Amino acid sequence: MRMLLLRLFLSFMKIGFFSFGGLTMIPVINDEVLAYGWMTADEVMDIVAVAEMTPGSLGINCATFVGLRTAGVLGAIFASVGVMTPSLTLCMLAAHFILKLKGNQVMEHAMNGVRPVSMGMLLAVAVTLSQTTFFTGAGVQWNLIFIAAVCGILMFKTKITIPQTILLAAVLGLIIG
Amino acid sequence: MDESVDTKKKGRLFRLWVIFLIMAKIGCFTFGGGWSIIGQMQNEFVEKRKWMTEEQIVDFLSLAKSFPGVMIINMSVLCGYMMEGPMGALAAAFGLSAPAILAIAVVAYFYGSLKNNVYVAKVLNGVRCVVIPIILNASWKLKSKSLVFRISYVLFAVSFLICAFTNVSKPLVIVLGALLGLVIWRGVNEDAAA
Repeated sequence: MRMLLLRLFLSFMKIGFFSFGGLTMIPVINDEVLAYGWMTADEVMDIVAVAEMTPGSLGINCATFVGLRTAGVLGAIFASVGVMTPSLTLCMLAAHFILKLKGNQVMEHAMNGVRPVSMGMLLAVAVTLSQTTFFTGAGVQWNLIFIAAVCGILMFKTKITIPQTILLAAVLGLIIG
Repeated sequence: MDESVDTKKKGRLFRLWVIFLIMAKIGCFTFGGGWSIIGQMQNEFVEKRKWMTEEQIVDFLSLAKSFPGVMIINMSVLCGYMMEGPMGALAAAFGLSAPAILAIAVVAYFYGSLKNNVYVAKVLNGVRCVVIPIILNASWKLKSKSLVFRISYVLFAVSFLICAFTNVSKPLVIVLGALLGLVIWRGVNEDAAA
């Protein structure tokens, strides 16, 4: 049990340190929780949707969910604190030395490299997830492709919010899923 | 959180509680991305209580965005630290996370038993599909900030190919991206943008 708690903490700390904003966490989360068998790829997608509809960020939501399911309340606490560790350590130091960091060129140059790389990672995870969702052992899932296409077009072309889109997908899923 | 109470006259513990409760309140309304919380923090801490200044919010925001981790947690830590030191940072971070943790605890409690219900399974089928356009949309939104230079497109393409077709660890890809960023942009003026 102690080992599991430690592993949860370390895994989510790793997720925290290597994610830069919002959904760019997904590729790292995916790798970690799948490697340890804590969640399936389907469950990761469920939790992304849940995270978009409930308060809080994906990192905290995912940490709580995985922690609770693998090691109960203590697990949830260890995983959540893990994902918050970069903020609690790096940002506290930054707040302390705020003046020195202001307009830091080195950080900005590193981020110039990190941003396009994160974007590529995110696109790659969309491709991988498409494969497992739309092309299952039972053949091509045209009904699911239809749902994704309708929601995708609405998202790009209208001002529909993400929670609204998820509700729409849920209703469509109930009818043709 | 009674507005009529002059919080300045109260002790440190009281201020910590106020920070925790305000952040918990803000944490209840961060659906679909955390940008709205910046506005709410500015409203509560700058306008109503004057515990921080407008400039601090702006400075912290650029820091919070460029540090690893959850952006809104970074922001809470920076602001909490500014107002009440390390304890303030903890109060702000845990305040903001409390509603998220409770909400997910409820979901996780029911998830196991409901997942295999035939109607719930259909709903989840639909919901999983929408995650893909959500990710594409998020990726698209990163474009203006990420693909600033010509070389950025190369980094983007290489990273995509590596992540889509190999099992190279994601943290390694990010570290390589950061190192390449340092090498490529060393001594380059921002004006040289393509």
